[in-house]
Amino acid sequence: MNLRRQSSLARILVAASAFALVCAHAATIPPGTVLATKQEMVRNTGAEPESLDPAYIESVSAGEIDRDLFEGLTSTDHHSNVVPGVAESWKQTDATTWVFKLRKNAVWSNGQPVTAEDFVYSWRRFLDPKTAAKIASTYGVYLLNGIEIVNGKKPPAELGVKAIDKLTLEVKTAGPVPFLPAVVSVAQFGPQPKAVVDKLGKDWTKPGNMVSNGAYVLKDWQVNSKVVVEKNPTYWDAANVQLTRVTFLCVEDNNADLKLYQSGEEDYMQQIAPGAYNALKAQYPKEIHNGPLLGLRFYGLNNTDPLLKDVRVRKALSMVIDRDILANKVTADGQVPLYGLAVKGLSAIQQTRYDWADWPMDKRVAEAKKLLTEAGVKPGTHLKFTYNNSDYHKKMAIFAASEWKTKLGLDTDMDSLEFKVLIRKRHDGDFQIARHGWVVTFNDATLFLSLIQCGSDVNDDRSCNKKADELIAQGNASTDPAKREALLTQAAKLAMDDYPLIPLLQYSVPRLIKPWVGGYDEANGMDRYRSKDFYILKH
Amino acid sequence: MWAYVVRRLLVTIPTVLAVVTICYLLLHVTPGGPFDAERKVSDAVLANLQAKYHLDLPLWKQYLLYLNDLVHGDLGASFRYADWSVNDLVARALPVSLAIGGTAMVIAVIVGVALGIVAALRQNSAVDVLVMLFGNIGSVLPSFVLGPVLVLVFAIMLPWLPSGGWDDFAPRYMILPIVLLTLINISTIGRIMRGSLIEVLSSNFIRTARAKGLPMRLVVMRHALRPALLPVVSVIGPLAISSITSAIVTESWFSIPGLGKLIVNGASDRDYTLVLGLVVLVTVLAVLLNLVVDLAYAWLDPKIRY
Amino acid sequence: MTAATDPVDIAPAGRSPWRDARLRFLRNRAAVASLVVLTLITLACVFGPMLLPNAFDSVDWNLMSNPPTRAGWHLFGTDELGRDLLVRTLIGGRISLMVGLLATLVSVCIGVVWGAVAGFAGGRVDGVMMRIVDMAYAVPYLLIAILVVTVFGRDILLVVGAIAAFSWLDMARVVRGQTLSIKSREFVEAARAIGVPTWRIIFQHVVPNLMGVVVIYTSILVPGVILTESVLSFLGLGVQEPMTSWGVLIHDGAAVMAAAPWMILFPAGALSITLYCANFIGDGLRDALDPKER
Repeated sequence: MNLRRQSSLARILVAASAFALVCAHAATIPPGTVLATKQEMVRNTGAEPESLDPAYIESVSAGEIDRDLFEGLTSTDHHSNVVPGVAESWKQTDATTWVFKLRKNAVWSNGQPVTAEDFVYSWRRFLDPKTAAKIASTYGVYLLNGIEIVNGKKPPAELGVKAIDKLTLEVKTAGPVPFLPAVVSVAQFGPQPKAVVDKLGKDWTKPGNMVSNGAYVLKDWQVNSKVVVEKNPTYWDAANVQLTRVTFLCVEDNNADLKLYQSGEEDYMQQIAPGAYNALKAQYPKEIHNGPLLGLRFYGLNNTDPLLKDVRVRKALSMVIDRDILANKVTADGQVPLYGLAVKGLSAIQQTRYDWADWPMDKRVAEAKKLLTEAGVKPGTHLKFTYNNSDYHKKMAIFAASEWKTKLGLDTDMDSLEFKVLIRKRHDGDFQIARHGWVVTFNDATLFLSLIQCGSDVNDDRSCNKKADELIAQGNASTDPAKREALLTQAAKLAMDDYPLIPLLQYSVPRLIKPWVGGYDEANGMDRYRSKDFYILKH
Repeated sequence: MWAYVVRRLLVTIPTVLAVVTICYLLLHVTPGGPFDAERKVSDAVLANLQAKYHLDLPLWKQYLLYLNDLVHGDLGASFRYADWSVNDLVARALPVSLAIGGTAMVIAVIVGVALGIVAALRQNSAVDVLVMLFGNIGSVLPSFVLGPVLVLVFAIMLPWLPSGGWDDFAPRYMILPIVLLTLINISTIGRIMRGSLIEVLSSNFIRTARAKGLPMRLVVMRHALRPALLPVVSVIGPLAISSITSAIVTESWFSIPGLGKLIVNGASDRDYTLVLGLVVLVTVLAVLLNLVVDLAYAWLDPKIRY
Repeated sequence: MTAATDPVDIAPAGRSPWRDARLRFLRNRAAVASLVVLTLITLACVFGPMLLPNAFDSVDWNLMSNPPTRAGWHLFGTDELGRDLLVRTLIGGRISLMVGLLATLVSVCIGVVWGAVAGFAGGRVDGVMMRIVDMAYAVPYLLIAILVVTVFGRDILLVVGAIAAFSWLDMARVVRGQTLSIKSREFVEAARAIGVPTWRIIFQHVVPNLMGVVVIYTSILVPGVILTESVLSFLGLGVQEPMTSWGVLIHDGAAVMAAAPWMILFPAGALSITLYCANFIGDGLRDALDPKER
């Protein structure tokens, strides 16, 4: 079932033929549903947004709010599908050129129409070194001259985006990007109103100043408290938007979040505290939700470390961890064990699995011990494990340490750090084994493969398998989605046989949502929701 | 006396300067910078960021630029809250923290002093023990236990109050956080009051007053209270400062957008300007409050001269 | 005249003020009871783990979050990783008590000396010393703690140092205030008039009169220090897994309070009892050492 879904998704995304989806995508309300008179929702995003300016957004929580305020060429709905946004159709005219046709009735909240020129301005601004957007290079890499502009080697005017006419946008990519429509759905490629930005500078995102083109406009923003948005009457699809007012909270502490939910102050939790899942599941059977997220929990292994240089050592460490106990007892919140790089639901790749994944644990331990002896690692050797302080990671780390101790006789020195310091150490290679997690921002396998590509910015483990890299390049150059999928899967298997990292679990999203909130889809692997997809049932 | 006040106010300037310099150096020495993110920031982007925020200049030059802005009342742009200036952030968070922390202090002083007096007058009796038992709850149970207990009882089991959040100084969101902070402060004030009053009550001049036949109540009110309040006043300064600027656990548990949250996020995100801005604020507050406290000493003990 | 009737021999034996103080203390029932309880707790923390069969770091995935039971000596239940809470509470007590004691000791020493000197010297010296205290207040302690640990590595003594570094400030201020008041009393004037050297005045006259407030404030410091240690440990700047402290146990337990109340009940109970005892002992000491008590 999964295979079929992935290939069909791939087909939609990668087709070299014209798309003509004109239907409006919004809250699909089942017939016969009775809606409440008051359509308002309070939702916790888990963190105070670092900015509401599309160019400056980095975090998931800020992205969620911004996708309500600004709509890009394409959008992601509550089933993780890429759907038309400001662009009503698009087609890929050659390997590196796409043409987007914008709809006539897309307007800004001040009445001005949204034109192709707006996107040219916005994307140039996003990549302009003077703007200094932190993740400019992460997304700039997909557009022609994007990286050169970020590096200051070329002026922003040379970005591969051109307004053919008021409603037609031509995008040139740097190399073949079969999943471009998914890329441009991210919040950072949202349009920005040039006149307002020029006039007000940094203050343009404040309530009262902001001009946006999305389903909602900014009503109020109290730092560290809440962001309030209200329905935009001029939005082209306003007829299908049910919620009139959404309040975004920024509560980080899971327990405070739960208390707000229990006392009725919010309708939608961000996440359930570790260890509380089973109890809450029993207490709120109708309100608990848990679905897989397109994310990977893993432990990074520094491939250049003297102890871990030998692939046998890395394999041994990976083999003895009992991922079933980890999933069922230690984390106990619906996560799924992983024995490969790709997670379930990831587009353009099949999941792979180590052959020893199905062996009984005794056999795995015996084999691992043998590998260690061959590699010359004696019991009593110390491992160094680095993680960021959080109860959840601590619990998993203690489990891993005890597995390595009881099964292989290795002692683990645990080092709990602040998150920022952990990131630094990982980037600098100042670690032996480090806790890591990876979640996609749009649904394509390349995001995961970058973890194991030679010299990749995000490959903290410093692993390198040249053959796998070649296969990835071939896959991305291919226009046949089935062939691409096969090549990428092969590449992943090849790379993972080198044991560059220890895959553990696929993230899940356990949360509580009030029973009167409609539109939530547990199969939404990206966990991105637009407020226009929600509605309130009569209660 | 006024010369003393003026002198103290003038000293604020070098004090603030010294603190800012120390913190400035500390921030730049601490590992991790404001631009560390989950996805590695490419070198080119890092260079762009540093250019934008003047971080590519030599340290002393940056420092002078910062001081220049400071003198003009501009605390700079925040790194973490990119759309807001530090002035904005502080201006919004300060009234919130003042409302919660300030109210808590006032109540704590009144109740704490009262409890201390009662306990001192009935020293070593069952009343003393009971009063101290109750008064000490705040110091004996950590705020991250008391907070959840308060919420469990008053927000969930008895749905009288919200379990957190903030709505433009709406009273119902302020009650539980104020109660929490008050409980914590009552114990300190109460115990010091009790101990200090007991000491004063055994002084000679008190004995004289009692021997003259003055009723105990009058003795306490007219003669014993003033000198006994001295150590209490000493701690009001630091307690008030910490209630207003460092009520971190209270603010994060009840989701209050106050100064504590800003400073924790600022420190962990290495938001240089935000941290420095808050440091300036706390220094100024501390200096002013301590000045008031020192002046209060003079009022309470007429023999103290400046 | 025989030696037996020498006036010196028939003088009554003197009573030392310390003996008086000790007797006064023993008369305070709450304080004595607290002393006994505190001693028992300390002994339990020091010797208990050696006598109990469970290790504090042995995980058992089949016994996660179990309520207290007689089986397997899990009298306090188990935590989320199946580790025995009784042993962990006792081990945690070792850390908390040690940190509490050491950090408080250091803070008190620095604070008393600083405050007494500032208060007694007055004038410019007082001004400078107290401005330094004001400045130290403004520096965010979180920053210092992060810096100290990331630069110097993690070490329990560093935690003690970091906590002591900002805990002495309040003590200094309280002591200074009290000194200002004592300084102007008659017996100090008298001592000065007859030419007693300043240092002697400070240590023989001022400090004993400060003792009351110092003792009270010390017993206020102790819970503060222990709680600060728990906040630091939570941020990853204090004790490192698998070692634990009461603060860490309470923090972990607070998160699952509704589902597994024993996880917070026992460490919080141990902490509360210890701190209450410290408070009563503190009050009792203050009462006992008061030079004006008869």
